[in-house]
Amino acid sequence: MPSGESVLASVQSILLSQERQQIQELEQQLNLMRCQTQVTIEQLQGRTGELEAELDATRLALRKAEAQARDLETAVDLLQRKAQADSEGLIERITPVFSSLVSRQIRDSRDEMAEALGPVMSEAIRVQIRDSRQEMVEALSPIIGETVQRAVGEFFREMQQNVDAQLRVTFGPNGLMRGLKARLRGVSAAELALRDSLSFELREIFIIQQGSGLLMARYHLAGQETADSDLVSGMLTAVRDFVHDSFSQPDVEAADLNEVQYGDKRIFVQGGRAAFVAVVLTGIEPAGFRAALRQLVDELNVSYERPLRAYNGDPATLPVLTPLVEEFVANVLAEPAKPHGMSRRQGWFLIGSMAGLLLFTAVACFYLQFTIALYPIAFPSATPTITPSVTPSLTPTPTPTPTPTHTPTPTLTVTPTFTPTPTLTPTPTPTLTPSLTPTPTYTPSPTYTPSATLTQTYTPTPPAAAPFANVWVRREPSLDSEPFVAVEFDTPFILISVLGPWAEVEWLSDLPWLPGVQRGWVPFAWIQLRTDVLPMTATPTPTPET
Amino acid sequence: MKRSVQKKVCLLGDFAVGKTSLVRQFVEGQFDDRYLSTIGVKVSRKTVELDQVQLNMMIWDLVGGNEYLHTERSYLMGTAGALIVCDLTRENTLDAYARYTQQVRAVNADAVIFYLANKLDLTAERQITTGQLAQLCASLGGDFLLTSAKTGAGVNEAFTQLARQIEGE
Ligand SMILES: Nc1nc2c(ncn2[C@@H]2O[C@H](COP(=O)(O)OP(=O)(O)OP(=O)(O)O)[C@@H](O)[C@H]2O)c(=O)[nH]1
Ligand SMILES: [Mg+2]
Repeated sequence: MPSGESVLASVQSILLSQERQQIQELEQQLNLMRCQTQVTIEQLQGRTGELEAELDATRLALRKAEAQARDLETAVDLLQRKAQADSEGLIERITPVFSSLVSRQIRDSRDEMAEALGPVMSEAIRVQIRDSRQEMVEALSPIIGETVQRAVGEFFREMQQNVDAQLRVTFGPNGLMRGLKARLRGVSAAELALRDSLSFELREIFIIQQGSGLLMARYHLAGQETADSDLVSGMLTAVRDFVHDSFSQPDVEAADLNEVQYGDKRIFVQGGRAAFVAVVLTGIEPAGFRAALRQLVDELNVSYERPLRAYNGDPATLPVLTPLVEEFVANVLAEPAKPHGMSRRQGWFLIGSMAGLLLFTAVACFYLQFTIALYPIAFPSATPTITPSVTPSLTPTPTPTPTPTHTPTPTLTVTPTFTPTPTLTPTPTPTLTPSLTPTPTYTPSPTYTPSATLTQTYTPTPPAAAPFANVWVRREPSLDSEPFVAVEFDTPFILISVLGPWAEVEWLSDLPWLPGVQRGWVPFAWIQLRTDVLPMTATPTPTPET
Repeated sequence: MKRSVQKKVCLLGDFAVGKTSLVRQFVEGQFDDRYLSTIGVKVSRKTVELDQVQLNMMIWDLVGGNEYLHTERSYLMGTAGALIVCDLTRENTLDAYARYTQQVRAVNADAVIFYLANKLDLTAERQITTGQLAQLCASLGGDFLLTSAKTGAGVNEAFTQLARQIEGE
């Protein structure tokens, strides 16, 4: 009989066999896991060892790097000190390296360089300008100066070409006309040529609706057409509005934009109630341009105010404006040359011209008379002896008549021409030519010493002056000067000059101890003038040698 | 061939709401993150092909805020339509709707007005709801559109819609 314990055991085994099995399985799994854990731990221990070894190596490397860094620091320090000591030398050595590097970089990747440097450069420039304005000005002025110089040079070259072109026609009839035109306008011919060289060109005309800025019509006349002219008209309108709003004051007539300049072009703006007109041009506008423009705008606004105001962007609704514009263009290009009134300067010019003309006529008449008078001398009769008929031509009259003897040109010598020697050629010699120059100055040349043959024929006709009574003649215009001769009452005098109360005279002396033509000073009050021509100069002239 | 017609339209709204950006997106198809306040006025042009006509829109982009322009009245002269813009990320920019509507109406009672709410792409910063917009625009008697000058959303539609209404199509 089984004992109770064994029964209990068998019952237990029946009841718990499943659980026991599970426990066994769990135990097995536990063992397996323990084994795995053991393996993992071992693996990890191995890895840790490796890591520790790596760490050691890294530490070593770090120590090495630290040492290197210290070395580098020392080297840099050294370099810095060296650089400070020899910064210029270093710059010199480094510059070529940097320059080649930079130029290669610029060549290979221009855009990247520009992109990279742009912001830095602009910032640097800004800072530089702020901090050291003067230095920047000094550094930049040569470059900017050169640029400006070049631009100005180009402008002047172009202008010079234009002026040259203008001057090339100066000597033709057009040139003469221009000269006259310039005088009538009160400017110099050069100014006119300069102005003409800044050639005026009417380029475009815009008719723009007031307010909306819509472009209603556009006329292209010369040059390149403005791209986006509708935008230009819009912007012009906006600018006009801006000017109007910004500069207008209450109770004062509204400010208006008259002119805009961009590059070498100018836009003339003329406002109207419904439409305004903008004219693009280059050069200097002719006189009366603004008036013509105003007239165009007035006519446009008067004739077509309603359709222009009602314009809603549909070109079909616009009236035909071309004839008015054509008329304006014709007016402007005709260039009104009418002088408005005569200025003082212009008046003087006209008077001068007329005086010149009269003088010219007088000289021409005299020349004719002179030629006739000289004819017998130039073509004498068979014997070249001196006859009294020669004398008048040698008369040193104080009148501004250009007799050969009185010509003030230093080259003129009377003697060779009129010496009545057989060498006298019957044709007028070239030395006569300058004698045609009329001059009111009577300055007897020192060569006026009459030769022996002439003395007998010296009869000054008509006498210019004569003393009232016997008068003392002195060498100098002063009472301190001793009189050297007394001249008899009514002796024919030639008045040479006047200095204060003194008159310088010339006369023909027949005194045996003082023969020939003499010169000296007498009190002016003692002489009586026989002609109303007074000498122009009052400078004492040297007394000729006797 | 279609007839060609020119019309002036204005962009109005407070500063930095994106008026210039909207024009740029519409005219050039481009967007820039930088803010360069418009000096006075900038006029641009874009041709819009409609069923009947070819409409040359002269777009006047005015600087935002009255402090810069003495009176905006003269700039609005002859305008056929206006786009009034607010910035969805700044609630106070909505006030401009009523103010500018009044100014446009004073110059041209028949002008077509469209209300734009810009910067739609900045969803996180948005401060104005569509309900708010609908209510305000209904009171002002105009339509509104949400736009983003950055992504281009609604931009073409805004200008084309304005063009259509101006031409009565
Ligand atoms: N994210 C985002 N930014 C925008 C948008 N539109 C404009 N911006 C930015 O907002 C800023 C102002 O834009 P603008 O177009 O210059 O503004 P505006 O209204 O013309 O400004 P004012 O000319 O000063 O009146 C710029 O930085 C733009 O890049 C948009 O739709 N989305
Ligand atoms: Mg802007």
